[in-house]
Amino acid sequence: MKQVAGHIRINVTTVGPMVAVIAIIAGFQAINPRFLSYHGIVALVNNMSIYLIAACGLTFVIMTGSFDFSVVSILRLAALLCALNIDKLGLLVIPLVLLISVGFGFINGLLVAKLNVPSFMATLGVSFAIDGVGLYLVGRRLFIMGGERAETFMALATTRIAGLPSVFYWAMGIWIISTFIAMCTPFGRRTYALGGNPIGTGLSGINVERHRIYVFMLSGFLTGLAGALFMAWQGGGSMEIGKNMPVPLFASVVAGGTALTGGVGGPHRTLLGVMIITWSEVGMRMLALPDYIIMVFFGLIAIGMSIATIDRRRIKIIK
Amino acid sequence: MKILGRNKLITPVIIQTLKTNPLIIALIAFVVMFSVLTPTRFLTPLNFSSILRLFVTYTLFALGPTIVVVIGSLDLSYVGIWMLGGVLLWLLMPILGMLSILVYPLLGLATGLLIGVIQVKAKIPSFILTLSLLVTFAGLAAWLAGGVPRPVREYAFITAPLIPRLPTAFLWSIPIIIAAVFIMKRTRIGTYLYAIGSNEEGAGLAGINVDKYKILAFTLSGLFTGIGLIILFQHLGGSAPVELKLGNLVWPLAAIVLGGTPLVGGSGGPHRTALGALTLAVATQGLYLMILLPEVVALLLGLLLVAAIVVGTRGLKGVTIT
Repeated sequence: MKQVAGHIRINVTTVGPMVAVIAIIAGFQAINPRFLSYHGIVALVNNMSIYLIAACGLTFVIMTGSFDFSVVSILRLAALLCALNIDKLGLLVIPLVLLISVGFGFINGLLVAKLNVPSFMATLGVSFAIDGVGLYLVGRRLFIMGGERAETFMALATTRIAGLPSVFYWAMGIWIISTFIAMCTPFGRRTYALGGNPIGTGLSGINVERHRIYVFMLSGFLTGLAGALFMAWQGGGSMEIGKNMPVPLFASVVAGGTALTGGVGGPHRTLLGVMIITWSEVGMRMLALPDYIIMVFFGLIAIGMSIATIDRRRIKIIK
Repeated sequence: MKILGRNKLITPVIIQTLKTNPLIIALIAFVVMFSVLTPTRFLTPLNFSSILRLFVTYTLFALGPTIVVVIGSLDLSYVGIWMLGGVLLWLLMPILGMLSILVYPLLGLATGLLIGVIQVKAKIPSFILTLSLLVTFAGLAAWLAGGVPRPVREYAFITAPLIPRLPTAFLWSIPIIIAAVFIMKRTRIGTYLYAIGSNEEGAGLAGINVDKYKILAFTLSGLFTGIGLIILFQHLGGSAPVELKLGNLVWPLAAIVLGGTPLVGGSGGPHRTALGALTLAVATQGLYLMILLPEVVALLLGLLLVAAIVVGTRGLKGVTIT
């Protein structure tokens, strides 16, 4: 018994999110019996899918101790590019937007690794430029996809398999692949090493700069994929896509237990974090709570989990 | 001969100034460029007072965060203080009357102190902490206000015109800028903050109470934001928004970076931020006066921001990045 208590105390960032998920399910189920009905579960699964894909990309960046602010902008641009070009290109639009998203990730990585710009500012600046491109292409219009090619495109995310929309299976597949990359490949191990100790990683013969760029490109790729699936799932959108996403997205990564200092956590934990954030959001929306209360809640979760996950033994100076 | 002698003295001074503040060249270039491109619209008194208005907005938002950037951290809470303070002001108006404008400096002080204590004791990266706090504040503001902006009309006298064509808010902002420059350049606090920014470990070893001065930096940032907001509240229309927009957050930061306070800390300061804000105001206003699509303006300003960030962090090889 004592051992169990000790184990829990040491692994509070592992046990905590699981307890939180169970508490959220139990709490909302108690208040609102329809929370776990079929339609409730579909809503839960729908809401978490896009977040999960984008959050997996962000997790890799946070694992290296950097931050990617441009995730939401890339997602938005990728989604809108899909809607704009679906009639002309058909399904070829997906590789196109993935290429563009990876390109933006490459620019992020270049700014951070080669020009030594702090990642927060670099990605914020890039996100502004991306939004400029988006505004130039789309303006203030709302796009609703229609036509035969759009139908095939939308079927990618909306087909029901075993009662659940296929966007959920995409998300789970990407989550499994991300976890595999982080756990079982040299790329993943290097990412952990880079976050844990960049100087030591460089000394042990890993090209740190190049690896940072790869990580940002991976984040761009997954974000672009999230954007394409978002458009396939929603069937339309405007520059308002993802307006409230930045803080919940970041909160879902830290709520899972990936520390902002890097080197700790990983995509496998992000699943729990995404469940905590999106399921409590769905639960609160089912109870018809207004947006701003949900915002306060996310802000407090983000601060609280940042405090809880950071390994204070290792760091001396934090800016 | 006399003129030549004077030239010998003046020219090196000018060259030295331009070397330390290359932004002045960019500022002059912008002014010349826009004067040539749109002479009928750019070179008008109306446009210059618009530029000054923008300058006041950028500077007063950016002064406080500059102090935090000098120690190498980031403070994004200013928009949150603006939003929450505006709603508190509206709530307190029936109770406290004209005194309720003091809610801004007090809220700024309290927020700054809170951020400083959490940042120093819990060791969270400051931009994440202040970003989360900003979202919390924005949510609280919308909650208290019931989701719509609440205008307060009693403070119109703050920006009532005194001198024709010259925005009164600009006059008010001058003492605030001077106070910030004075604190950072002429007092022990300022010296210590620069020391912490350039080498935190070294500053601690030299006997500076680093934690105390870091908390002080965040508190000063909140206080300057609060004092600036007394003017900005009326300057920006006598009500605060209750919806969070990224654009409100970005431009003061851009003014800091463009002005030449590197985000790793240790150099720069409020005087540079004022120059950066002026350049940014000229560039923004000039771009809007050219007949371009608003989307193109947004794109160009975004590229300007990226360029400013890259230029502002040049020559920082070997610095640990986060």
